Amino acid sequence: MKSCKNCGSSEIDVDASRGNAVCMSCGSVLEDNIIVSEVEFVETGGGGSLAVGQFVSAEGGAKLPSFGDSHFTGVGKESRAQTLQRAKQHINTLGHQLQMSQHCLDTAFNFYKMALTKHLTRGRRSAHVIAACIYLVCRTEGTPHMLLDLSDLLQVNVFVLGKTFLVLARELCINAPAIDPCLYIPRFAQLLEFGEKNHEVSMTAMRLVQRMKRDWMHTGRRPAGLCGAALLVAARLHDFRRTIKEIISIVKVCEATLRKRLVEFEDTPTSQLTIEEFMKVDLDQECDPPCFTAGLKKIKAQQLEMELRKKIDEVSDEIQEYQDEIDAELENSRPKLRGIYAAYTRDVPNSDMLSSSSKSADGEELEDNDELQAVAKHFGRDLEELTLEALIKLEQKRPEEEEEEEEDVPRRKGPSLESILGPMPSSATLGLRESINTCTEKENDGAADSGELDLSGIDDSEIELYLLNDKEVKIKTALWMAENSDYLKEQKEKEAKIAKEKELGIYKERKPRGPSRRRPPIRASTADEAIEKMLEQKKISSKINYDVLKDLDVKPGSSPARKVESPKKEPTAAKLTRRNRMPARTPLSLSTPLSSLGKRLKPFISGQPNKKQAVEQASNPLPVAVGAPGGESVVVESGPVMYDDGAAEEEDEDEEEVCVSAMELMGGNDYGFDGDDDGF
Amino acid sequence: MDSSDEALDIIVTNVVATFRTRCHLNLRTIALEGTNVIYKPEVGKVLMKLRKPKITASIWSSGKIICTGATSEDEAKLGARRLARCLQKLGFKVRFSAFRVVNVLAVCSMPFGVHLIDFTKNNRPIASYEPELHPAATYRIKHLKATIQVFSTGSITVTGPNVQNVATAVEQVYPLLFECQKPLCK
Repeated sequence: MKSCKNCGSSEIDVDASRGNAVCMSCGSVLEDNIIVSEVEFVETGGGGSLAVGQFVSAEGGAKLPSFGDSHFTGVGKESRAQTLQRAKQHINTLGHQLQMSQHCLDTAFNFYKMALTKHLTRGRRSAHVIAACIYLVCRTEGTPHMLLDLSDLLQVNVFVLGKTFLVLARELCINAPAIDPCLYIPRFAQLLEFGEKNHEVSMTAMRLVQRMKRDWMHTGRRPAGLCGAALLVAARLHDFRRTIKEIISIVKVCEATLRKRLVEFEDTPTSQLTIEEFMKVDLDQECDPPCFTAGLKKIKAQQLEMELRKKIDEVSDEIQEYQDEIDAELENSRPKLRGIYAAYTRDVPNSDMLSSSSKSADGEELEDNDELQAVAKHFGRDLEELTLEALIKLEQKRPEEEEEEEEDVPRRKGPSLESILGPMPSSATLGLRESINTCTEKENDGAADSGELDLSGIDDSEIELYLLNDKEVKIKTALWMAENSDYLKEQKEKEAKIAKEKELGIYKERKPRGPSRRRPPIRASTADEAIEKMLEQKKISSKINYDVLKDLDVKPGSSPARKVESPKKEPTAAKLTRRNRMPARTPLSLSTPLSSLGKRLKPFISGQPNKKQAVEQASNPLPVAVGAPGGESVVVESGPVMYDDGAAEEEDEDEEEVCVSAMELMGGNDYGFDGDDDGF
Repeated sequence: MDSSDEALDIIVTNVVATFRTRCHLNLRTIALEGTNVIYKPEVGKVLMKLRKPKITASIWSSGKIICTGATSEDEAKLGARRLARCLQKLGFKVRFSAFRVVNVLAVCSMPFGVHLIDFTKNNRPIASYEPELHPAATYRIKHLKATIQVFSTGSITVTGPNVQNVATAVEQVYPLLFECQKPLCK
């Protein structure tokens, strides 16, 4: 610190009382808050004495007093300090809203620091991370704060917070002990205002919760729900009337949950005890978790259903028999139908069967048309049955037996097969083919990667079912168009917009989620063209008078032109390591507006005269730069690029008065980027 | 394979697989000419449901397809091939490539209940239990890439990259669960 960084002079005045170190030649403050080991006292008005010095906070990141141009020193350590400071502020705000002690908040801040060093804050909302840190403290300390409280304050989904919390706990290797519902009881009891009996009610509620634990009601449930139920019962036990609604508003569960817990508790044997018994006796028997008993009940119900169904089947079979017998007899009275029936029959055995039945059955005269229709309908049904039977016969290959069998037997087969085949009429034939195919299908993989589709096991005709024919396609198209007309309109508008923009030449291809890319380098034959094109692209800054800028371009011909060429090639070709830090993605070019360049470069704004200086200085490194674009290291770049920017800004700000540029003050040549970090 | 006398029934309930057709697909054509399709233009995909192996497929226009709902790896492959054949019939030059089973979900039921808090305590960093968020304790086996969710009734759900991993995971976790068991009084 023996020489001033700005002017290089070694005349530095150190003032212990103010804690400053000031350069005597340029006047810049080099140090502030100097820590000294001696203690001095000064006299205050009235005879008292004050210790000399300033209080410096123990934690880093205390606000540095702005001395001159310190506001662009947000790099490196300072930014980390700023982050920590901001986090501390948020933690304290949140913590005070939850009425947490300072000790807890400090611990939370420590957690945050740990998370920061492990880069866990990246990609997560800071609010989430802070909430997770606070909740972590709550868990380790055992305070009765729920994740729900935090999410209420932040208006964030509880599960999102929970995810962040779990990640944090895992990465920081912090074992958060499981939540005990007993923790919440005092808190809720307080809110329920039991007055003097608060303690008693709490104790009763705690006993209830413990009993619930033993009865396996608490695993997998929100502790708040259990507390709510326990408190409700405890309140009633002590003659306090607390409605469910009151409890819900405090405990933050819904009515259904509370009722369910009460019902579950009711199912346990403990609920049968009287109040006194409950206080004294602890039943040994433990219950199963309620969901398990519910599961068992379900299984039993299902089994019952199965049995019932079987019985119904049998009964319905019998009913069917009787029905068919009656119908057969009815049919006998209609000779006409027989004729029709003969036309419908396909198999001889069928007609034989029915003729036999007709012989056996008694003839009854049918008179009403309704009855005839009913019979015909039933015949239709019967016909179906019979055709199904025909199919079955083909498959089962038992035609002879069918003939011999009584009326009843094939009929009995009818309904049961119908019940199987009825709902899925087509799968019968397909089922057969499937089984055949699975037998023949051996190869599975092999052809997969080559891209060819292995067609074994795939039934083409079935696939055809999945495709609509032309007529259906038309109908569906019409329907779909009608449905999605809004969406289609939007798409058309979008396209029209894009087309317009293309014509105007302003078209920017906007990917919804793509990262912002650097603009491609402008291809131009002369520097003037390049400048013009760039100006066309980037008319952003309001502080730049582009007209004047254009005039300037024409004037000193070579110099700005040459300056422009090199930065054009180099920023895009080679990597700008240091430059990248600054205004994130915009390549430093002639028209980068001042605002986007950041505060660091503002002081380099200067008037005209410096342009010549810059030109001279630029011209030296320029030939080198032009000769080896992109291949050179950062050193070569820094020169021309930096200067050119300075020159650019000079041109922009030509309205300003001629003043001595900062570059001159600082002595242009030993111009390192690092030096600027401290912001001079 | 099981350590106890009765074999545990590991029932595979869902298999998720992906494959590529190596050609661009026109979603509108598929949507208009296929049965059992749902077109979601906002998201940019078509959902197609097959009946035979009961499978739902999400089809993207890039040609990537995800099949879910199968009950075994073979079934998933069969369904995927069927789907590809279906698309072929619609007129696209479909080639079946890069078939890969991505996820397998299985459920299993222990004959005993599990004390979740003890279980979590014993297996601290690997197991996590957050009753406020989810009723089950989650146990993640890193080297198998399997996740097991344990419920207090003793039923567990296992997810893993393939059926073999899932079976191994169940075997691994069984002794741990056995320690913290809570006998169910049936």
